[in-house]
Amino acid sequence: MAEISSGSAQYIYVCTRMRVRRSQLIPREDYLRMLNMSLPEITRFIEDTGYKSEIDELATAFSGIDLVEVALSWNLAKEYQSILAITPGELMRFTASYLRRWDIQNVLTILRGKTQGMPAGKIREVLIPAGALDRVFLDRMLAEDSPERVVEALKGMRLYPVLEREFPRALETGSFARLENELYKGYYERLLAETKGGVKGGRVFKGYVQLEIDIRNIQNLFRLRAQPTLEDVREMMIPGGSFTVDELQRLSTAESRDEFIDGVKKQVTLPPLLNVLEDLRSERPIHEVEIALTRVQLEQMDRVSKRYPFSITPILVYLEQKKYEVANLRALARGKEAGLPGERIRSYLVM
Amino acid sequence: MVDFGTAELTLEMIQASQVGLKAVGAGLAVGLTGIGTGVAEMGIGAAAVGATAENKDMFGLALLFTVIPETIVIFGLVVALLLLF
Repeated sequence: MAEISSGSAQYIYVCTRMRVRRSQLIPREDYLRMLNMSLPEITRFIEDTGYKSEIDELATAFSGIDLVEVALSWNLAKEYQSILAITPGELMRFTASYLRRWDIQNVLTILRGKTQGMPAGKIREVLIPAGALDRVFLDRMLAEDSPERVVEALKGMRLYPVLEREFPRALETGSFARLENELYKGYYERLLAETKGGVKGGRVFKGYVQLEIDIRNIQNLFRLRAQPTLEDVREMMIPGGSFTVDELQRLSTAESRDEFIDGVKKQVTLPPLLNVLEDLRSERPIHEVEIALTRVQLEQMDRVSKRYPFSITPILVYLEQKKYEVANLRALARGKEAGLPGERIRSYLVM
Repeated sequence: MVDFGTAELTLEMIQASQVGLKAVGAGLAVGLTGIGTGVAEMGIGAAAVGATAENKDMFGLALLFTVIPETIVIFGLVVALLLLF
């Protein structure tokens, strides 16, 4: 009894905190207002929201676009770490597994930077230490002088077997694409395996991960349609969702867009996703397709989190929404810096 | 020792056992409602602490929500008092 009740109290505590934090994210109207602002105004505006401490802290070292970028990354990392700190037990394990994708991103950033001979300080600016590898560990990796040594430093970590297998080939071909695909495939595989542990909320979490895999695969297929490649499509697809890799490969060979969308629709059961796919029949720029699909994903996750209010889902929804908030602000700031018109920037925002 | 099998119940004995059972009833009324209140406050309290941790202004309202299930134990107390007096 004691364990059950204290368990549910922990869920309620964390999920309430996430809900409050979600209500503090930047609303749609504010994005629309920011579209009419200049870069310094945007900086000041986000300083008034949740990014004050980072902007104040970094204002002496950076200015302009760099200040916004670095402050956003720092804030994201800090936010994710604080979530890990307040989530207890089982929830924390799921959350940490979910956040492991940032490790992949950081490791790849370091490897790419090192192979191109970038200085460590420059690489450090773009790292987002939100996963299991913390700032100290990343700094140690940055201090290594060659990419091979960086890989060696990861020995014993979960990423190491894939890195060891694929890295020499990546160096040889000069392209990290295959390594990256393999790492993410490993990540999703691991994530799905963890949901099978029979723990509370595992089933919901699994549905969530599968939805993400599906959306990612469909996005990739749209990308492949926009820009056909000679490489093997199978290698780019993530197994474990509601499509098998064979089906995805068949879909990628569909002649016309209509045929392709019909094929995807046969497998998908989610009504909002079906609506969006119907919408996408007309030719649209690829980033709009991706954003439409991402929005479906976020909305569906939001819906699931309301159905299971005290489970892992409210936490994951917040993690995702925060990620897109940071991505939006970055797109806004970059777009303004490049002098793009508001309409153009708007089409890149997920809101 | 009184032999209950054969002894006749006197009026005093009956009255005494009635008083005793009333006391047991009063105890149960307060005790069980207390458990009910505790269970109800568990969830609310957890949410209240969570909300207050994020936003300090929530404290007053959160405290108010947390003590609302106290009414249950107060009902129990009222019933207990009615039984006893």
